[in-house]
Amino acid sequence: MFQGRSPSRSQNQQETLFLPSFCDIRMVFAVVVIAELLAFVLVLANNRNAPWSELGLVSLFLQWIALSSAAVLCLARPMLAQVSNTAAALTSYLLLLLTTAVISEVAFQMGELGDQLRSTDHAGFLFRNLGISAILSALVLRYLYVQHQWRQKMQAEAQARVQALQARIRPHFLFNSMNSIAALTRSDPVRAELAVQDLSDLFRVSLRDASERVTLEEELDVAHRYLRMESLRLSDRLMVEWDIERLPRKRLVPSLILQPLLENAVYHGIEPLPRGGTISINGRAEGRRISITMLNPRVPDNAEAHRQGNRIALENIRLRLQLAFGEQAGVALRELDDQFETTLYFPREKMQ
Amino acid sequence: MKCLVVDDEGLARQRLARLLCDVEGYEVCGEAASGEQALQQVQQLQPELVLMDIRMPGMDGLEAARHLANLETPPAVVFTTAYGDHALEAFETQAVDYLLKPIHPERLLQALDKARRLSRAQMDKLQDMQAIGKRTHLCARNRGNLELIPVNEVVYLQADSKYVTVCSSTQRILIEESLKSLEQEFGNQFIRVHRNALVAVPAIRGLEKDSDGHCCIVLEGVNERLEVSRRQLPEVRKLIRAGGV
Repeated sequence: MFQGRSPSRSQNQQETLFLPSFCDIRMVFAVVVIAELLAFVLVLANNRNAPWSELGLVSLFLQWIALSSAAVLCLARPMLAQVSNTAAALTSYLLLLLTTAVISEVAFQMGELGDQLRSTDHAGFLFRNLGISAILSALVLRYLYVQHQWRQKMQAEAQARVQALQARIRPHFLFNSMNSIAALTRSDPVRAELAVQDLSDLFRVSLRDASERVTLEEELDVAHRYLRMESLRLSDRLMVEWDIERLPRKRLVPSLILQPLLENAVYHGIEPLPRGGTISINGRAEGRRISITMLNPRVPDNAEAHRQGNRIALENIRLRLQLAFGEQAGVALRELDDQFETTLYFPREKMQ
Repeated sequence: MKCLVVDDEGLARQRLARLLCDVEGYEVCGEAASGEQALQQVQQLQPELVLMDIRMPGMDGLEAARHLANLETPPAVVFTTAYGDHALEAFETQAVDYLLKPIHPERLLQALDKARRLSRAQMDKLQDMQAIGKRTHLCARNRGNLELIPVNEVVYLQADSKYVTVCSSTQRILIEESLKSLEQEFGNQFIRVHRNALVAVPAIRGLEKDSDGHCCIVLEGVNERLEVSRRQLPEVRKLIRAGGV
């Protein structure tokens, strides 16, 4: 039922434990709701005369067990994360049964609560509670395990897709750049040399592993180099405005999240215009969020192709951002009257 | 042999011009950065050979070549491209030459040797390809010169026996194409108002009745009123009511 974990422990082993964190307030809320539903089921199944007073009592008892179990799992989490999922599952199962047993015993010994709850003798009471707990804990653990596996599968699939989709620099760009360099080698060897360096750096980056993180500074540097190559070809048809002073340079981001968007901006927004246009890049860090906005001219005849080209790049970048930062990161696209606006956003602080 | 170099990138023109300089018997008589400029330069400088990039802003190389073929003595055309112009695959069989950038000097020599005017079959092929990528200009030959009207400035197209009149607010040319093929190519920009007329949708200003009681369409930028046939009237009305105008 449970897969063994590989012996090598990565830094994010907490993520590979199949149990979610029961210290999380949302998880606690879920536990409360489930315990309450169970209380309803038990009372309804019992079919007694005064269901409401009984519901109160049963709820109290069940919440007591449920919340204690959540607390125990929360405290045991660091330890559970150290062992294989099989061992973690067995341990947490035993912990849940133990918690149930202890609390049942305490409740039995307590005066009034015990009086009302014990419809049977001591052993029967304990046996009944343990039975319910055994079945429910198994179900819940199984559910959590399956859900975890599903999430892992999704993540692996996303990873594979990212690898496949990894933003490779367009061949169109490569060959045109090579052509520019061929022209420059005689007329302006110094610029030719610079262009070869820029192009090499760009390709080194594009050949890197897709999951690798770089600082925002490096990513901006790649963007700079890319645009410098493009302005070599397009000369004064490409104008670039940078406003990135407010970006925290040391923030780690997935590599190649900016360049593919800029490449689209140049390919669809600048190249089709005989007189060219301006690309502006605007970085902001507001509150807990970093956003980078790119604006480029919208070429009406070309808008559909632009959207198509963007969709692939956007999907790719959105996936990689979300793998890195979760749901708080993404890419947004807006079509203004005469401009395309693409915004990348992600949290400012590294998530735990 | 006089050559015209057409490319939107300055460095690409520079390199091609230099390569041509090294070949005996060829001289670069001019350069152009777009299809439109290329057509102007060809008429001015009368080159025998045009080396033309395919992907250019505005009118691209394929369209420019197609218009050039309308000339009485069209120059030979050799296409240049960087990569991924899948349109070229269609050319493989047609043997119009094309060069991949960065261009090898030996390949250039070969291409110059082979350079010929586009054949009829090649023109047809170009036409087919243009159907995929619509033209940006319509073109007519007028006393040896090419006259161009950008498609988005055209107000209406009216068929008259052999020719189609292309009318913008400032120009009027005759082209030898069928209204039907024009409708197929530019169907989303024009609407048919009569058996013999297509009208640019953005130019429509409204409908009115003439003295004979016929329904006529009022167009921006021209004084003529075109008759709307009874058959087309509902569709035209629908378009106007839909706020497309």
